[in-house]
Amino acid sequence: MPELLDVSSLTAGYGDGPAILDGAHLTVQPGKVHCIIGPNGAGKSTLLKAICGMLKIRKGDVKFKGESLKGLRPDQILRKGICFVPQERALFPKMTVRENLRMGGYSLADKSGLERAIDEIEERFPILRERRDQHAGTMSGGQQQTLAMARTLIVKPDIVMLDEPSLGLAPKIVQEMFDIMKVMASEGITILLVEQNALMGLKNADWGVVLDLGRTLFEGPAAEVMADPRIQELYLGGKKAA
Amino acid sequence: MEQIIQTLILGLALGGVFALMGSGLSLVFGVMRIVNLAHPSLIIAGAYATYWAFKLWGIDPLVMLPVAAIILAAIGVLLYKLVFEREARSAKYSEMTVLLTFATAMIVEGALGGMFTNTQRVTSPSYATDAIFIGNIFIPTGQLYAGIVSLLIISALALFLKYSRFGNAIRATTQNREAAELLGVNVNLVCIMSFAIGIGLAGAAGSLVSFVFSFFPAKHWEWVAVLMSLVVLGGMGSILGTVIASFMLCVVAAFVGAYVGATWSTMTFFLALFLILLIRPQGLFGEKPELA
Repeated sequence: MPELLDVSSLTAGYGDGPAILDGAHLTVQPGKVHCIIGPNGAGKSTLLKAICGMLKIRKGDVKFKGESLKGLRPDQILRKGICFVPQERALFPKMTVRENLRMGGYSLADKSGLERAIDEIEERFPILRERRDQHAGTMSGGQQQTLAMARTLIVKPDIVMLDEPSLGLAPKIVQEMFDIMKVMASEGITILLVEQNALMGLKNADWGVVLDLGRTLFEGPAAEVMADPRIQELYLGGKKAA
Repeated sequence: MEQIIQTLILGLALGGVFALMGSGLSLVFGVMRIVNLAHPSLIIAGAYATYWAFKLWGIDPLVMLPVAAIILAAIGVLLYKLVFEREARSAKYSEMTVLLTFATAMIVEGALGGMFTNTQRVTSPSYATDAIFIGNIFIPTGQLYAGIVSLLIISALALFLKYSRFGNAIRATTQNREAAELLGVNVNLVCIMSFAIGIGLAGAAGSLVSFVFSFFPAKHWEWVAVLMSLVVLGGMGSILGTVIASFMLCVVAAFVGAYVGATWSTMTFFLALFLILLIRPQGLFGEKPELA
């Protein structure tokens, strides 16, 4: 059986600019939370954008269920089952919560199931039902992130990629976001997460990936990554992992 | 008192027409960030189509309206494909679109001038010169019809944007283009269709304009600034804002015209544009929920 997602010697960058990713690789374990860490400019966001089709793959390949994603547009990759939530959460600020959820199902062929899927999500996240007629832009950061994550569930994806979901959120709310991710993973959704707060991310992940200068330096179980003295020194601020 | 009511009515009637003239401009800016300086020249193209249909075959302007809208929408698709699509990824997109739409305006004006000369025209169906009297107050039926039809078209547009699937995709693209793309919206198709709708609205507005104002090919220069002031006051990209701004400014302009002097009436729009940019550059409704 082919790997769910297999990224091999991937080279990518923005426009005609220099390659940000240069030989990155990644393997994912189905139904696990993967945390990609590394310093600023390491290519973490670039990796997610290349996988979801926002950036062109220059060299190497991204295979999903054994099939190459090279040259596909973001909407085609979404239809295959990979959802991406970018750093700024990709919400429509002047559309209501319900309308935002409906846009989440824009790519679905089966329109009849859409309203039911939205009802299910509102059931799971009562805050979204409470706020359904409110404009998304007027909600708090945590509520917006909840909406962005919940919205991915409408298309029943295999993989959800999140770029810094903790950005701008209070620590208590951040933990709530990680808890949502864990529940999603327990339902069989593979999570790919980029996190600036490396220690926090790894603590909540099953698998850790260290990216630097556009390459994958190390990947392994999150606990091992946290315990590695060199990684601690270089990427986890030298603090001993708890 | 009567004169005040009379002025108010005349202002409101014109406001409706200007609202339709501005709403296409607002839509195109909202979705594509194109400041379409050619919009008024395309309104005039729609006015000519209506004028000749009436003159040659006696087709009523209100009957011609959907035809003019469709013709102009088709021209819009062509224009977008030929001129704007290839610029969409350009780093100097905004600057380019201003130059390109300016050039388009000149070309349209030149073509219309070449075909139809610079004579002033006005379509004259019977209702264009009629008026309804309520006591001593009169309502010009031409403007009344034009205002009502404008509002109907704008309402239809608003309902389409709010409730249809494609309308939602247009609004989503306006608010967050990258997110819309990530969720599977074909953003290029949304752009083409929005441009077509926007220019189609110019065609529809042209049909109304043809019997409300007298027009000639170079008339659009006068309207560019007027429409810009409406769209900026409304909050760029907000169609509801544009409609409200149209009514506000047209009423103010009517009062200025009646009490200060007709020559100063047009000045109202420029002065308003100037003041908005100084005091509240995001426009009146720039932060409020948009209808579109």
